Amino acid sequence: MIKLSNSSFLPIFAKLLILMVLAKSITLVLLWFLPSDGVELAQQHSYKPKYQRVDFENMIQSPVGAKGQGAASSSSNAVSITSMVLKGLYGKQNYGYVIVALKTSSNKTSIIAVGEEFSGFTLNSIAPMSATFTKAGKEYTLELEKTMTSSRASLYEPEVEIDDGSPKTVSKEDILAYAKSPQDIWKEISIVEVKNGEEIEGFRVTKIAKNSKMATLGLREGDVIIKANNIELKSYKDAIDIYNGLDKLDAVQIVVLRENQEVELVYEIH
Amino acid sequence: MVKRFLRFFAYLAFFVVALIFFAPKLGMYYFLENELKAYDVIISGETLKDEGVSLNIKDGQIFVKSIESASIKECDVTLLLFYNAINARDITLSQSAKSFIPLKVQELKLSYTVFNPLHIKVNAVGEFGSAQAQVNILDRTIHVDLQASEMMSKGYRNSLREFKKSEDGGLTYDKTF
Repeated sequence: MIKLSNSSFLPIFAKLLILMVLAKSITLVLLWFLPSDGVELAQQHSYKPKYQRVDFENMIQSPVGAKGQGAASSSSNAVSITSMVLKGLYGKQNYGYVIVALKTSSNKTSIIAVGEEFSGFTLNSIAPMSATFTKAGKEYTLELEKTMTSSRASLYEPEVEIDDGSPKTVSKEDILAYAKSPQDIWKEISIVEVKNGEEIEGFRVTKIAKNSKMATLGLREGDVIIKANNIELKSYKDAIDIYNGLDKLDAVQIVVLRENQEVELVYEIH
Repeated sequence: MVKRFLRFFAYLAFFVVALIFFAPKLGMYYFLENELKAYDVIISGETLKDEGVSLNIKDGQIFVKSIESASIKECDVTLLLFYNAINARDITLSQSAKSFIPLKVQELKLSYTVFNPLHIKVNAVGEFGSAQAQVNILDRTIHVDLQASEMMSKGYRNSLREFKKSEDGGLTYDKTF
């Protein structure tokens, strides 16, 4: 009987084992210096309200504290239309809301959307200077409070300057042409990211070719694009998401920082 | 003497195989991911499997500057010290690239061997046609030979502007980085 210790395979086996242990030790040392976790993209699912163009001519600054009180106070049905005061309105026709109060407690305002009820009166529609309510099949028109209309200009100081007040028109054909050959965009405009540390704060327009389509869009060199359609541009993804969805949009609103002021540019796509 | 040499090389080969087998492939992959992050490239959502001599990656999504740029169904990373390769299959590029290039790439293979230490070879086959590329690490140049498909030739002429026609009827592209 041959003893295992006398076998010629044993030294070979031992050497192989030693080599394996050595290889494993080296890889363990290597493992010590390597990261134990990879990198995953943190997807931010933040709420992004849909951009909708509204008639800002009708926009009246609402008094502080008006929000949150809602229509809770609108419970009494014994109130007549003459005892109500229209403090502000926003929107037009069948869209928007009004700010109303009772004359007896004019500081206690309520925000009523079209279709909602206040003291038994249902808001039916909004006109530039008045709102129409219905009650028991009858129609009532409430004029905007005169003190508010006369002082509107001084009361309402928009945080965002609108470029020249009117939306610019962009043709769908142009957008499709740019989408087909995006390199043409970069022949006409140069944009670089603006960073604060690691965070992107917007995209600066560094160059616009004169006599180009881009030059007619109201952007200027030095503008920093910070928002598009209510979405803050904090990453390239935000910008690309807007770009990818352009063909489905009827309007694009962008906010740029120009000489430390926010300027709104609105484009209607036809 | 020859017998000793053979035995030495046999032990060395065994050691190398053991080293490859025990290599912390996941850790090395995570290290690569961290390095890529510095260039704003993130591979996300993938599942990893150490298969002894290779690392299998499934269903990875590649984000460049947080923009989804491509998704890869399956990828094998083989690191054999003397020969290293990355073999990716079923690649779908992001919709944002649809105006530049057809989106489906069937196969992409990158290989590097110590016997040709200055070059990385790349082969790709997809809806765009087929391409062979060579990256010269020392000269920092890329040379691409492209055989464009009918779809690429007809529908993506703008993207082919940068290519030159070669003598054999194909297209070539050279760039320094």
